[in-house]
Amino acid sequence: MLNFILLIIIYIGIYAIAGIGLNLIVGYTGLLSLCQAAFIAIGAYTTAIFMTALHFGFFEAMLLSGLVAAIFGILIGIPTLRLKGDYLAIATLGFGEIVKNIIVNWDSVTKGPMGINGIPGPQAFGITFSAIDKVPWAVLIWAILAFCYYFVRRIVRSRIGRALEAIREDEIAASAMGINTAKYKIGAFTTGAFMAGIAGSLFAAYNQSVAPLTFDFMMSIMILCMAVLGGLGNNFATVVGVIIIVIASEIPRLVGISHIIPPQINQVIFGLILVLMMIYRPQGIIGRVKLNYAKIIKEEILHLEK
Amino acid sequence: MKKLLVVLFSFMLVFTFACGKESDVVKAGETIKIGFLGPMTGDAGNYGKLMSQAVKIAVEEFNAAGGAEGFNAEVIVEDTEGKVEKANPAIEKLAGVDKVFGIVGAVFSSVSLAVAPKAEAAKIVMISPSSTHKDLPDKGKFIFRDVMSDALQAVVFGKYLAKVENVKTVAILYIKNDYSQGLAMDFKDQYEKEGGKVVAIETALQGDKDFKTQLTKIKSANPEALYIPNYVAEIAQILEQAKQLGIKAKMYSADGFSNPQIFELAGDLSNGVIFSQAAQQKASSKRAEFEAKYQAKWGEKPDAFSLNAYDGAWIILNAIKATSSKAMNGNLKVDRDKVRDFVAKTKDYDGASGKITFTENGDLVANIGIYTAENKQFKQLKMYKLEGNNLVEIK
Amino acid sequence: MNLFNLPHTELLQHLINGLTLGAIYSLIALGYTMVYGILKFINFAHGEILMLGAYAGYFLYYFLCEGSQTGGFAIIAFVISLIFAMLISSFLGVIIERIAYRPLRKAPRLAPLLSAIGVSIILMNLAALFFGTKSRKFDYPFDNTALQLGNISVTPNQIMILIVGIILMASLKLFIDKTRLGKAMRATSQNQAVASLMGINVNFIISLTFAIGSALAAVAGIFMSMEFKLYPTMGQMAGLKAFIAAVVGGIGNISGAMLGGILLGLLETFGVVIIGIPQGLKDTIAFSVLIIILLFRPSGLLMKNIREKV
Repeated sequence: MLNFILLIIIYIGIYAIAGIGLNLIVGYTGLLSLCQAAFIAIGAYTTAIFMTALHFGFFEAMLLSGLVAAIFGILIGIPTLRLKGDYLAIATLGFGEIVKNIIVNWDSVTKGPMGINGIPGPQAFGITFSAIDKVPWAVLIWAILAFCYYFVRRIVRSRIGRALEAIREDEIAASAMGINTAKYKIGAFTTGAFMAGIAGSLFAAYNQSVAPLTFDFMMSIMILCMAVLGGLGNNFATVVGVIIIVIASEIPRLVGISHIIPPQINQVIFGLILVLMMIYRPQGIIGRVKLNYAKIIKEEILHLEK
Repeated sequence: MKKLLVVLFSFMLVFTFACGKESDVVKAGETIKIGFLGPMTGDAGNYGKLMSQAVKIAVEEFNAAGGAEGFNAEVIVEDTEGKVEKANPAIEKLAGVDKVFGIVGAVFSSVSLAVAPKAEAAKIVMISPSSTHKDLPDKGKFIFRDVMSDALQAVVFGKYLAKVENVKTVAILYIKNDYSQGLAMDFKDQYEKEGGKVVAIETALQGDKDFKTQLTKIKSANPEALYIPNYVAEIAQILEQAKQLGIKAKMYSADGFSNPQIFELAGDLSNGVIFSQAAQQKASSKRAEFEAKYQAKWGEKPDAFSLNAYDGAWIILNAIKATSSKAMNGNLKVDRDKVRDFVAKTKDYDGASGKITFTENGDLVANIGIYTAENKQFKQLKMYKLEGNNLVEIK
Repeated sequence: MNLFNLPHTELLQHLINGLTLGAIYSLIALGYTMVYGILKFINFAHGEILMLGAYAGYFLYYFLCEGSQTGGFAIIAFVISLIFAMLISSFLGVIIERIAYRPLRKAPRLAPLLSAIGVSIILMNLAALFFGTKSRKFDYPFDNTALQLGNISVTPNQIMILIVGIILMASLKLFIDKTRLGKAMRATSQNQAVASLMGINVNFIISLTFAIGSALAAVAGIFMSMEFKLYPTMGQMAGLKAFIAAVVGGIGNISGAMLGGILLGLLETFGVVIIGIPQGLKDTIAFSVLIIILLFRPSGLLMKNIREKV
């Protein structure tokens, strides 16, 4: 049981790293991206290929994974500067499908549908990380998460963060204020992709295998759900969203009823949580409600009339 | 917010302690647990469903026959959705919470390869009914499979097509999943080695149902035969569209064809398709008995992988029964190493899928049957085994 | 380039296959584009509405004629089932809008999107639970033996899909352009507040939009289950692709959705044939072309690129 809980903690850590990255793109900058799974896949496969075929150490491979994902972040970021709103979302969605499709078909490098197995456990601080002993993994992943959390916090509380939020609220006004919107948008995309790459790298190394089916459109959606459920534009909320979704999807196993109820029910419950959450708390669990000046004024007038 | 976290965390801790117990003892009044790992939802949900139903029948029979020292068995079905990251929590749960003694699964090779090290570490015997990738049995002492490896099936079929059927040109159409691609690639290598010519090799994506583009290209290549090592839903679709496009090539397939659903989906088009599958010993009536029972209980027919799942479950249950003993306090003591050794010694086990013998590393020693479909029935035409590099027919 | 080495007959065959596929994508894309035009959000449950409509039609068809027959009565039964499927889907579409989307009209932009994803997950898994996960075959109510024209083959089903598809799309276009209700729809999609001031019942128009879009999805669903079988996840990928097609055509634009759908169908069949690489890469080719189109026409093929003014 402890092992199972540790596993959930590890998964929460990995998804949270990717989620914070996505939150920077969607929550702070207001660009709807549907290809976070593609960046995770790029990170995971970079680690898998460099560690098995080229015998890199884990930490070099991890850094490299982040960088490769970030390069793809720039590649998808630059052309999509022309696109707005849902058109941008569709371009990223298409990019995600392309990445998955190429991974499945590029047999000589990615081993196609089989995926890559036997990724060695990293060695560091005098211990070898293995899938059996999960405590070092949990510590490592949460340490990286803490670093990412702090890093993004520093970004969003600086000039950069204020520029990103200005772009989200009104891009034209922001550029009129002298903000180089292109630079900041690509920057957000690249940083978000870098973090997804790191998450993917951890994912591959922890599972010791990667397979292409994992990184489908639903994974991007799931990470987006985590960010929105917690409350967009708030990193702590994103982590809470991740915790809730990971635990919600494992609840039947945690409570020990997964073999009694039909497996579809689990998914149905998940869908219900999503719908009900959105109806009753659309701004997310910790999200702030935007001040509605019209409503405030109306209430004031009503108050005065009485 | 912090409160919520505290509550969640204490919730987890309670479970940790509530579930902590000795691993190799089944207490009086509890059940012996075995697991099933496979996709129960999503695109491939039907394969997992068919196989898990077979395991359930095995467990019921085992209990009806008195169980092990009076202890009943129970199967815990866990959904993998066919994905590695969902399979990991599933195996952790089976190993850590349920403390299962054996697992039937996983279904897809990519998933089996990923969970095998974990089953090995937890000393759980894992018998895969359908993971055909050649590397799987080497993943550990506790890892077995009772399905033919791609290498064996495709090699035999490649030789058969080139030498026995004397087919000179073949086109291959396979889906980009681990099962189809493994078979297609090994078949191609062997067939070309035997002097055959592959005139077209086409792929499709998992979930595709429109193969007209590929078939139009194949038609232009004009092959004598078309090899389609896929699962039934895709095969049925290919057969139908090939006919619509007027492709006259003879159709060949692999054990994925053995699901009786093919008759429902493809109707008369299934007639005359020749495919390979583990050979059936003529004398055994076990298969017919099992199929009748399955039909009666679930209202549908089992596929070949379900037969494997059924046999795998029985092999595990027999091993547990033979090696465990009742202690003084009424508990059942199960020794995981002994269970594993007993399973490894399996020789000529008379199962529903045929005679099962495991090799040194846990792979299936199999004779390969060449089957055909005729009037909504599967019929075994011939039986072969591989001796060295030669195909030997067993009469 | 492989294009010029191919025999004409093969190219013509690819063209027919691509057009049939494209007609199906177009029918689905219309539903997305209509809903987007009015509510400005992606109705992710559209693929599941399609799937449930197809199941409804399937069950009625088998109830009426026990399947596997062809000829007069089967064709009548098929038409009845088709209409029934459209009704069921319309009903579902309207209900889903009432329950899951209407409370979210004023919510943040991403909320209805996620709610739609939730609905999609629920419907897909309920279908798997009640109807089973196996594929089912929707038998043709007529003899579907392919007609061989020289070296090219066309099935009666393909002809039916093309004809019915074109009729439905043309009548939808006429409905939106020429009738009072169509005008009300266009007004609502441009500005809801103003439309309601003009005496248009906005809620009714939105329900009507969902009903029409869902009915078209049901037709696409029945066609898909005849051509490609029937199973609970059938709407997922088709829906995603049709949505991309709708966006590339210019989302909110009816003709754009038709054009985008046909384009995607042709890209999937011709894309890899022209370059001469395995068909497994068709998504890469199709999506790359679509992204490139978007880059040159950032609001889709048939939408004017309006410069945003402050």
